[in-house]
Amino acid sequence: MAETDVHGMSDGQELPDPHLDTSRLRQAPAKYQGLRMFMRNKAAVFGAVLLIAILFITFILPIFVTGDRTERVGSIHLAPGAEGSTTFGTDYLGRDVGRIVMQGGSATLKVAGLAALVIVVVGTTIGAVAGYYGGWVDNVLMRITEFFQVLPGLLFAIVIVALYGASTKSIVLAIGLIAWPTIARLVRAEFMRQKNLEYVKAARAIGASDARIIFKTILPNTMPVVIVQSTLVMGGAILFEAGLAFLGLSNPKDLSWGFYIGANRTYFLSNWWGLTFPGLMIFFTVLSLSLIGDGLQDAANPKLRGR
Amino acid sequence: MKQIAVRILQAFGLVLAVIVLNFMLVHLAPGDAVDALAGTAGEMSPETTERLRAQYGLDEPVTTQLVTYIGNVLQGDLGVSIGNNNRPVTEMIAERLWPTVLLSITALSFAILVGVFVGTLAARRPESGFSHFTTVFALVGFAMPAFWTGYLLLIVFSAKLGWLPVSGMEDLRFRGGWFAQQWDVAKHLFLPALALGLIYIAAYSRLSRASMLEVLESDYVRTARAKGLGERSVLFKHALRNGVIPIVTVMGLQFGAILSGAILVETVFSWPGVGRLAFEAVVERDTNVLLGVLFLVSLAVIIANFLTDLLYRFIDPRIRVSGSANG
Amino acid sequence: MRAETPLRSETPLLSVQGLTVTFDGFTAVSELSFDLYEGQTLAIVGESGSGKSVTALSIMRLVTLGTRAKIAEGQIFFRQPDGSTIDLVQADEAELRKIRGNQISMIFQEPLTSLNPVYTAGNQVVEAIRLHQDVTKAEAYQRAFEVFERVRIPEPKKRLKEYPHQMSGGMRQRVMIAMALSCDPTVLIADEPTTALDVTIQAQILGLMRALQDETGAAVIMITHDMGVVAEVADDIVVMRNSKLVETGNVFDIFEKPTAPYTKALLASIPRLGSMTGKSQPERFDLVDMDAPV
Repeated sequence: MAETDVHGMSDGQELPDPHLDTSRLRQAPAKYQGLRMFMRNKAAVFGAVLLIAILFITFILPIFVTGDRTERVGSIHLAPGAEGSTTFGTDYLGRDVGRIVMQGGSATLKVAGLAALVIVVVGTTIGAVAGYYGGWVDNVLMRITEFFQVLPGLLFAIVIVALYGASTKSIVLAIGLIAWPTIARLVRAEFMRQKNLEYVKAARAIGASDARIIFKTILPNTMPVVIVQSTLVMGGAILFEAGLAFLGLSNPKDLSWGFYIGANRTYFLSNWWGLTFPGLMIFFTVLSLSLIGDGLQDAANPKLRGR
Repeated sequence: MKQIAVRILQAFGLVLAVIVLNFMLVHLAPGDAVDALAGTAGEMSPETTERLRAQYGLDEPVTTQLVTYIGNVLQGDLGVSIGNNNRPVTEMIAERLWPTVLLSITALSFAILVGVFVGTLAARRPESGFSHFTTVFALVGFAMPAFWTGYLLLIVFSAKLGWLPVSGMEDLRFRGGWFAQQWDVAKHLFLPALALGLIYIAAYSRLSRASMLEVLESDYVRTARAKGLGERSVLFKHALRNGVIPIVTVMGLQFGAILSGAILVETVFSWPGVGRLAFEAVVERDTNVLLGVLFLVSLAVIIANFLTDLLYRFIDPRIRVSGSANG
Repeated sequence: MRAETPLRSETPLLSVQGLTVTFDGFTAVSELSFDLYEGQTLAIVGESGSGKSVTALSIMRLVTLGTRAKIAEGQIFFRQPDGSTIDLVQADEAELRKIRGNQISMIFQEPLTSLNPVYTAGNQVVEAIRLHQDVTKAEAYQRAFEVFERVRIPEPKKRLKEYPHQMSGGMRQRVMIAMALSCDPTVLIADEPTTALDVTIQAQILGLMRALQDETGAAVIMITHDMGVVAEVADDIVVMRNSKLVETGNVFDIFEKPTAPYTKALLASIPRLGSMTGKSQPERFDLVDMDAPV
């Protein structure tokens, strides 16, 4: 499905939409039309608000709600709202679940963000080169892409992190290494489509170098595809990081969401809140990114709305 | 036939590439097997480590080591476990294989049947409440980490309601006939299969909704109706076979993701499979076991890919039979 | 143009009366009426969006399946082979299924996408035969073989086993025609059957359809935007524009003395042999100005 979803912004914007106020549309610069579409998509706006709330909880709130999260605040396994307990309960060491979950997000988001960056940069570059040059270059790169698609992603990441140690660097590289093929294929398809269009021929005619055509001429026009995919990639990276951390493959000091679920897992029968709340944070973060990604996709390509 | 032969060769090439990758992973990692052994055995004299390196062939040139390694793996020798008294890794994986096969096949069939059914129903009435529910369900299902879903299911269905068992694959105190025993396994299987399959139910319902929406608007569906076929025949004979093609194309690749997810889910449910073995290997730093699992799972994915490729050829004659159209 | 007009029985085979079709409040066909007689070829002419295809799909009642279209008003009376008359607008799905592909069948514009890519040509024709006739699979294949021969498909035995993508466009359209004729319908609706084909193939398919009509005696509704096709095959003509009827009548009369300005403009757009002499390039058609006074 995704392979056929690749259409540039410019394709969709010319389509008349009976629900739009055309008189105002005519005045609006073309670049705001995508934003307008996005705003019309209630789910996407909800996703954006959700993401902002999560970023606030993770990065701003800890500035005001200070205190050491490893500190013991009461008896162990106190349910949320129980006497002597905190809003989100206490864990098996008597720590405040709410405080740990609030502060654990920054590690998850940092690792996932860096991994998403690696994925997008690697995937876009490989896809661009393969799609632009075609021929044997494309053939070799696509064989490599296929190989990485066949590898069982999470398991491969587990092996790398287990062998090379659970540092931020190895986790970011592990996730980056397994998740780039999807975006590479999308960008490749987009480059193959665009490289024969008139504006590229024009650039070639005035003697632009290959690198210039790839990065300055075609790449900006593939950005809608890349940006939509980036939000989905980021969601996937969060899930990968959470899975690794759940198995203990993350820095224990970070107490990231996935790691904290793993730490609480032995007590799930008596202490449901210890693993429910960090899981909810993972869930809402990935959900918000998916909603935003869908909204952007609709904005970039209105023909696919409702699909 | 020639195309199939080419695919077999390609599959074999991929297997070789996985073996080489495995070798490289170990070779590039800090420390070698002897260091790991030294770690578990305490202090070791330099003479002993040298002797062990010679014994394991670690003093030979890299290329020689690689050739030996490929030869060993192709003969089914994946080395020995460091944590488990030098037990052969192949043997350890073999005895854990069936539970994982059972779990992942159940989850995948679950996902395909439910996903395609839900997606098709949603596509038939794209404006209905059910259809919108499917879209929301797909988003929610994708955002839930499988291991977390596992615990939520356990908290609700096992701890609070007491309907289903908490862990393992069978009740060890179980006494009864064969059928009762299978029923016992099925009860243990249900929650892990659901936890593992949920994300794919979500993915397939979304994918089949989109694909069926497109197919149901196609000209050949109109032709089928114009013939006088009833809606059921239109849907099941003419639409569905075209509608599942996109799902078949992604199925093989997702098999790897399902087997990877099994590591998380088996850990949650103490399911005695390969995934649980991999988790134990992570905890014990048992490199050979971990690499053995990676190799076998990759092999399974390559085989699954090959099989879905055959299935794809069977479903879509445009791939199977080359065209002779001339305008 | 056909030399003679067939004799007409008293009651029409198919009578469309005041047909109005809407999509979400937009009117696609508005108060359209026309009659079709046995053995007659009626052309419905108009540009894209004029409502001619929607009219065709309304007769089959396919227009409301899987879309948001509604037949808001009107009747479509169809005289069945047993002599009884049925209103297709009011008929239920079960009745319609017996009529579709059996008594009224349809050929579409795009033969590649109109055939199911995953089944063989034979399979798809046999399916239609077995749906409406009580025959065994072997008998159905024999009939499919015969109908393939009738539509002049070379090597019919081999073609029965082929998939649509293995055939040329003209061959696919012959398969569509075979499928449509397999149950000896009394009405055949052809929706732009030659538009997607190469010019040489177009002529072959039109010739074939005319020959088949002489052989089977079926009435044909030919939907087209091409006045050349109309001149080739039609007895009577219905001109449509912006979902409304513009003009109707015998094809000779209309070609000789068109009354509506739109029809005149359509006729003027037919390139005549020799009219391009001395011009190096094809020319654009004149745009029709609908609001111009008569």
